[in-house]
Amino acid sequence: MKWLLSVLLASLVTPAWAQPWKVDYARSEIRFVIKQMNVPVEGGFKRFNVTADFDVAKPEQGMFRVEVDVAGIDTGSDEGDVEARRPAWFDAARHPKAVFVSKNIRRDGPGRFVMTGDLTVKGRTRPLSVPLVLTAQRPGGWLASGRFALKRTDFDIGGGEWADPSVVANDIDGRFKLLLMP
Amino acid sequence: MRDRYGWTLISLHWLTLLLILAAYTLGTLLQDMPLSPTKLKLYAWHKWIGMLVLFLLPLRTLLRWRDGFDHRRDLRPWEASLSGGVHAALYVLMLLVPLFGWLHSSAAGFPVVWFGVLPLPDLVGKDKVLAEVFKELHGSAVNLLVILVVLHAAAALYHHYFRRDGVLARMLPWLRRRT
Ligand code: HEM
Repeated sequence: MKWLLSVLLASLVTPAWAQPWKVDYARSEIRFVIKQMNVPVEGGFKRFNVTADFDVAKPEQGMFRVEVDVAGIDTGSDEGDVEARRPAWFDAARHPKAVFVSKNIRRDGPGRFVMTGDLTVKGRTRPLSVPLVLTAQRPGGWLASGRFALKRTDFDIGGGEWADPSVVANDIDGRFKLLLMP
Repeated sequence: MRDRYGWTLISLHWLTLLLILAAYTLGTLLQDMPLSPTKLKLYAWHKWIGMLVLFLLPLRTLLRWRDGFDHRRDLRPWEASLSGGVHAALYVLMLLVPLFGWLHSSAAGFPVVWFGVLPLPDLVGKDKVLAEVFKELHGSAVNLLVILVVLHAAAALYHHYFRRDGVLARMLPWLRRRT
């Protein structure tokens, strides 16, 4: 009886998989590269919120949710930042958040996973597959990093006069680094 | 004794003038233009044309040095030094104006892909403060270049209409020499 009680208690205080990881935002980033007149220009998002809920031993059963504040975009120039929030691009007033929710995480080698899920930008939801690499960090915690490819036409970002892909390319090369602390 | 520069130098001289005028016009237009696809195109053309001025410069300097035509032989000593000074300053500015533009572009985080094909290396890493500094230097060097170009052209017209010594005609051989 007594041992059963202690097992039950232990399972309550240390659940089968860990509670969501804390994200060290100061050392995390979501960035992208997009070609403008064939010039690769780097940008990023200054504000985002990540829920990473997984057990390092079994990430397959976990889930990731990333919510990006699109108004916090950094396009590399002030005039670009202003333009990117306008209706032709992200329409930040009507669609303030871009959200990715994982649906499935599959192992793809040691420390490597492929995460598939739904990305919603500007009210349009598209499936997205993201390779994920988990690297143990020295003092503790994990670095979750990866790259992904998007097409801006899939989300109607940069329409109208901006539609011409020879000026601003259709392909967006995204990359992220998230520092997950216990 | 030859009485003019070689054809290549003459062509490079007028080509450079056209390129500088084009870069200057584009740069001035860009200043107050709101962001648009057209602006991005003009930015690109401004940089491509400016870089062409920079890349033609070593060729021009080399040819000028090999040409050896003494264009100051009919000048008084003070005129020769003034002319030499302005010409030297023009060469220095043809180097500095595009170089500062390139440095500004690099520091601002916008690399140059020449004519959309040839990626040029970044001269410095991305740095907002440095970008502002190079932007100012680019603008100041441009202003100085414009002053000197005007002075240079005024001197050429002075030679042509007042001194009538054929100085302009030897850079513009199809112009009839006034006597
Ligand atoms: C002969 C060559 C060039 C000329 C005559 C020229 C002239 C100008 C002029 C008149 C401006 C307007 C703004 C100001 O006065 O501050 C300007 C701006 C600018 N130039 Fe150039 N330029 C040349 C070469 C270049 C090159 C080679 C680059 C880059 C690779 C460049 C990059 C820029 C940039 C980025 C600006 C905009 C600054 C800003 O407002 O953000 N320029 N240039």
